[in-house]
Amino acid sequence: MKLLKFLIGICLGLLILILPVSQFQTSPLDPLQELTVQLEGRKKPLDTLARETVTQIHGKTSYQPLNEEKLDYLSTYLSLWFNTRDWNEEPFILVSYRPLKESLGLDVDRKYFTFSELMRSDLNSILWTARQKQADKIPLTRDEREALTIEDRLALTLETVGTNNLPLVPHPTDIKGTWVGIEDAQQYYDDPSVEAIQTDYDALRNAYRENPQDESILGEIARSLSTQLAALSPNVYPEHATLHREVSFYHLHPFAKAWRLYGLGFIAMVLVMAFKAENIYWGALGIFGSGLLIHGYGFLTRVQIAGRPPVTNMYESVIWVGFGIAAIALLFECIYRAKYYLLAAAPLSIVCLILSDSLPAILDPTLKPLVPVLRDNFWLSIHVPTITLGYASFALALGLGHILLGHYLFAPQATPRIRSLSKWNYALLQVGVLLLSAGIILGGIWAHFSWGRFWGWDPKETWALIALMCYVVPLHGRLAGWFSDFAMAVTSVVAFNGVLMAWYGVNFVLGTGLHSYGFATGGSELIVAGLVGLDLLFVAIVAVKQRGRKKEQQKEKTQFPQIYAPD
Amino acid sequence: MKTFDRIWRFIGSIQLAVPLLGAIVLVLVGATFYESKVGSVSVQHEIYQSPWFGALMFLLAVNLGVSALNRYPWRNARQVGFALTHLGLIVIIAGSAAVIHLGVEGMLLVRTDRGANNQVRMQGDLLEVMNPDRTVESGNIFINRSGKVYPTYLAGLELADYRENTVRSIQFIEGETVPNPAVRLSLTSDRMGQNIERSLAVAPSSYSQMTLGIAELAIVQTNSDEELQQLLSPPSNKTQHLWGELKIDRGQKQAIVDVKDNISKSVNFNDLTIELVDFFPDFRLDKNRLPTTASSQFNNPAILLEISSSTGTEGWFVFGKAEFPPIRTVISGERIADLQLDYQFETPPAEDYFHVIATEDDKLYYTAKSSNGFKSGTLAIGESVTPGWADFQITLKEYIPHGKLQRTIVPADNPQVQGNPALLVKTAAGTATWLPWGEPTTIEEPEGEIYAAFGPKLLALPFGIKLEDFIVDRNEGSQSVAMWTSKIRIQDPINRISKQRNVWMNHPTWYRGWKIAQASWNPGDLQQSTLQVKREPTWVTALTWTGSALVVSGIAVMFYAPALMRKMRSKSNQTEPATAVTPEVAEKPEDEGIDRNLTPIS
Repeated sequence: MKLLKFLIGICLGLLILILPVSQFQTSPLDPLQELTVQLEGRKKPLDTLARETVTQIHGKTSYQPLNEEKLDYLSTYLSLWFNTRDWNEEPFILVSYRPLKESLGLDVDRKYFTFSELMRSDLNSILWTARQKQADKIPLTRDEREALTIEDRLALTLETVGTNNLPLVPHPTDIKGTWVGIEDAQQYYDDPSVEAIQTDYDALRNAYRENPQDESILGEIARSLSTQLAALSPNVYPEHATLHREVSFYHLHPFAKAWRLYGLGFIAMVLVMAFKAENIYWGALGIFGSGLLIHGYGFLTRVQIAGRPPVTNMYESVIWVGFGIAAIALLFECIYRAKYYLLAAAPLSIVCLILSDSLPAILDPTLKPLVPVLRDNFWLSIHVPTITLGYASFALALGLGHILLGHYLFAPQATPRIRSLSKWNYALLQVGVLLLSAGIILGGIWAHFSWGRFWGWDPKETWALIALMCYVVPLHGRLAGWFSDFAMAVTSVVAFNGVLMAWYGVNFVLGTGLHSYGFATGGSELIVAGLVGLDLLFVAIVAVKQRGRKKEQQKEKTQFPQIYAPD
Repeated sequence: MKTFDRIWRFIGSIQLAVPLLGAIVLVLVGATFYESKVGSVSVQHEIYQSPWFGALMFLLAVNLGVSALNRYPWRNARQVGFALTHLGLIVIIAGSAAVIHLGVEGMLLVRTDRGANNQVRMQGDLLEVMNPDRTVESGNIFINRSGKVYPTYLAGLELADYRENTVRSIQFIEGETVPNPAVRLSLTSDRMGQNIERSLAVAPSSYSQMTLGIAELAIVQTNSDEELQQLLSPPSNKTQHLWGELKIDRGQKQAIVDVKDNISKSVNFNDLTIELVDFFPDFRLDKNRLPTTASSQFNNPAILLEISSSTGTEGWFVFGKAEFPPIRTVISGERIADLQLDYQFETPPAEDYFHVIATEDDKLYYTAKSSNGFKSGTLAIGESVTPGWADFQITLKEYIPHGKLQRTIVPADNPQVQGNPALLVKTAAGTATWLPWGEPTTIEEPEGEIYAAFGPKLLALPFGIKLEDFIVDRNEGSQSVAMWTSKIRIQDPINRISKQRNVWMNHPTWYRGWKIAQASWNPGDLQQSTLQVKREPTWVTALTWTGSALVVSGIAVMFYAPALMRKMRSKSNQTEPATAVTPEVAEKPEDEGIDRNLTPIS
C-alpha cells in the first residue's frame, strides 16, 4: 500500500514534468539550433553557443531592446551574427559593478551599456593599468578585474557581430582538427562543394535579414546547410543524435524542473503535517523522489555531454550538493519517517538549483575542456563527489538545525519532538563526519599522485579539515557532557560556516593555494557574509532566549532530564 | 601512583581532547588567513613545520593513543570502531608528518636540446663556507617574505641581512702599481632633480666610457702635447654618413651610395636599379617573422634593398655588422650575377659628451659638447663645469692617478633597478660582506681567506634525466592546452640502465624509489619541461594509506556497526517485533560506557 502511494506520487510528479506536452514538440528551428560549431575546444550546437554568448555579454538569456519585443537568446544571437541591428548603439553589454561605473563616469543606475558608450569611456586606461599589473604579477583591484571582464564582453561582441568566421566547416580528416569559417572553406575543400555551402549560408543570412520571424524557411535552409556540411567530412562531423541530446537537455532544463518538484514535495509535506493527513505522506515522498530522479537524470546527461567526470567546478558542485541534500534526505526519510528531513532538504536543494541557474557570472555553467591537472584521474573523480556529499549532509543538518532552533524559539514545550529532532540531526552529523573524513582522505590519496604528497597543509585541505573539526569537536564535547542537545542544534547551524569557508571561501575569499583551478572572482562576498551574519544573529537570539528559560527552570527546580549528560 | 593515574587519564581524556582540538582549529584558521597574506612558503616554515606546531600535533597523537588504550580490551563494535579510528589517526598524523619532514622534493629542469640533467633544485637556499683551514661547512637558509633570514648563525658566520635586490657598484682607490688615471664625477641638475655620481678610469676599458641618458662620459689619457692640443680643439665638421654607406661592387665597377640621402629612392647602377626600400637602425624579426627595428639606436643597422636587372628582381638585406653576410632572395626572374654589396656603418660620435683628458704630468683637462656648442678647459677638484645639457653641472670630486678597481655590492633602494639577491654575512672578526646569489665570494680575513657561496640548494640524483620530446596536446580547434607530456629517458650509468618513460599530469613514473612527475612547462619554449622529483620512503606511504583505511573503516564501524549488530541479533532472536529494528541513533547505556571509567576533571 505504501509502495503504491509512493509510486502514485512519483507518477504524479513525472506527469507534472511532462506537461505541457508542447516542450517535446520539434520546433522548425531545430536544424538551425543543431548546426555544429567548433569553439573553445569542443564541438557544440549553435543553440549552446548562442546561449553562452548572450549570457556572457548580457548576463541573462534574453534581451529586451528599446521599444521592441523581447528577444530570446537565439534571436539575439542571430541578430548579432547576421548584424541586423546597430549593435554599436544597442544597450546590450552588462556592467554591473557600481564602483566601476562610477570611475568610468557611466550612469550608475543603468545595467546595460552600448558598445560605443563603453569604447568612449575611460575603460582603456583602467585596462592598461590592469595589464601592466598582470605583467608585474601584482594583484589586481576589484575595479580592474571587473574591467577585464567588460573587456572580454566587448571582445566577444566584436567577434560575434557580423562574423563570417564561425567555425562551421569541419576538418576533412582529423577528428581533433581545427574547423574553419565558411569564408575559409576552400582551405580544405574544392570549389563546387564550397560554393554550395556558401550559397546556403548566404541564403540563410538573407532569409534572416528579410524575415527573421519565418522560422520554417530558416529551418529549411539550415537543414540543407547542415546536411552539406556533414557530407563534407562524415567521419569528423558529429552524430546528429549527439547534438540533439545537448539541445534537448537545455530545452528540457531538468534542474529547473527538479526544484519545482522539490517545492511541490515540500508543500505536500507541509499539508501532511498541518492536517495530519498521513495518507499523503508517501505521495509527498513520491513527488520529491520524482524531483530527485529528474535532477539525477539532468546531472547524468550533463556528464555524458561533457564526456568527463562530474563536479569539476563551482557550478557542478552546487548542483551536486543540491542533489546530495535531496538524496540523503530521501534516504533518511525512508529510514526514520521523520518528515522533517524532507522539510529541511527541499528549501536547501531549491536554493542550490536556483542559485546555479541564476548566477552565470559566478557559477559558470558552460561546458569547457578541463585543465590538465583535473584530467584523467580516478582518485579525483571519487574524491570530489565524496567530499561534496559530506558538505551536503552538513547542509541538511543546517536545515534541520534551523527547524530545531525554531522549535526552541517558538515551541520549547514540545520536548518529545525536540528530542526526536535532535536524534535525527545527530544521525546527519554522523553521516557527514564519515563522508567528509573519507573525502579528505581520498583527497590525500589524489594529492599523493598528483602533487607527490599525502598532506601538505594547502588552504583547501586545511579548511576541509577545519570544517570537519567544527563538527568533531562538538561531537566529542557532547560525549564529555559539555554540549547539550541545544548546543548540538546550534553546532549544526554554526559549524556549517566551516563548510562554507572550505567550499566557497577558500576559492573566493582566500584565493591562494594549489586548488587554483577552482578560484573565481566576483563571488559577492559581502552578500554571503551578510547572510551568514543574519543567521548567526538568529542563533544568538535563540540562545539568549534558551538561556533565560533555563534560568527560570532552575529557579523552579524543575530541571528536565538531560539524556546525554554523563552519569 | 594515584597522581600518575590521574595524569595518565587526563592525557587520554576527552577533557583534554576538546580544548586541544579547539586550539588546533584556531591555529589552522589563523594560518590560512596568514597564508593568503604572506604566501605558502613562509607559512609552511613559520607554522606548519615549526616545532611548536609539531608539539601540538604530537600532543594530539598522545591524547588519541592513550584514550584508545584506556578502553582496552575493546569489547563491543563501538569500542572497536573507536579504537580503529583513533589509532588510525595517530598513524595518519605520523605518516603526514613524515611526508612533510622526511620527503625529499625538488624541481628538475630538462631540455630537449641538452643532455641528461641530474641537478635537482630543492626549495630554499644553501650557504657553503670554506674556512681558512680548508674545512667546508654548509647549511640550509630560509628567507621569509619580509627578508628575515633563518638561522641567524651558520658555519661561523652571522647572517646579518638579506636583500632581494642588490647591485654591484664599483669604485677606484689609489693603489695600482702603474699609472691609471681615474676620476669620480658628480652630475647635478636642479631642474631634473638629479644628483648622480659616476667613476671613470682609463683601465679597465669598460670603465673608460659610459653613456648616460643625456650624454656620453669618457676619460682618455694622453702622452704628448700635440695629441692634447688636438683633443682639446673643437671637432671638425667633416661630412658624415649618418646611416652609413653602401658599397656596390659589380665586377669592374664600383659605386658608393650614402644611405640616408637615398632612402626610399632608386639608384641606377649600370643595368641595375637599386631601390633602398627601408632602413632599420636596430634590425630584428618580430613575432610574425617580419623585419622591424627594436629601437632607434644603431645596434644592428640593416637596409632592405630591391634590385632589378633586365633579367630579374631580387630582395636583399644587408647588415652594418661585418659578421652578418647579406641575405638575398630572388623575387622574380634570374639571379643577378657578379654583384657584391658591402654596407659600411660607423657608429656616429655622440652628440653630447663630456670627456676628461689626463696628461702624463697628472694634469686634467676636459672637453664638452652640447647643442650649445663645444667647450674645453682645465679641470680641478671641486670645480664645476656646465657642459650645456639642460642645467647639468659636472663637478670633479676626486682624482686618483693610480686607480685600482674595487667592486662592492650595495642594496638597491630603487625598485626599478634590476639587481640580484644577496646575503650579508659578518665574520667573527666583524668583516661584513655581501654574498651575491649564485656567485662564490672571497672574504679577506687576518687569518686567511674565507670562501663563501650563497646559492640554490641542489641535489644530485644518482641518475640523469634527458628530455627526448615534449608534447603539448591542445583542445580541438583552440590554443588551450589539453595535456602536456614529457617523453624522458632515464640514464643510470651506475646500473647501466637507460629507460624511456612518459610522464604527464597525474601520471608520474617511478625509478628506484624516486617519483618523477610533470610539474610545469614554459609556453614560450616548448623544448623545456620542469619535472618534480620526489623521494618518499615506502614505509611513509604505507603509513598514510594504512591510517586512511583504519580511520574510514573505524568511523563506519563506530557509527553503524552497533545498529547493524542489534538488527542482526534481533533478527536471529525474533523476539522483538520487526518495527523495532529502526536503527537507534542515540546511544544506549552500553554504548555510553566509553567514558565510564573517566573521572571528569573539574
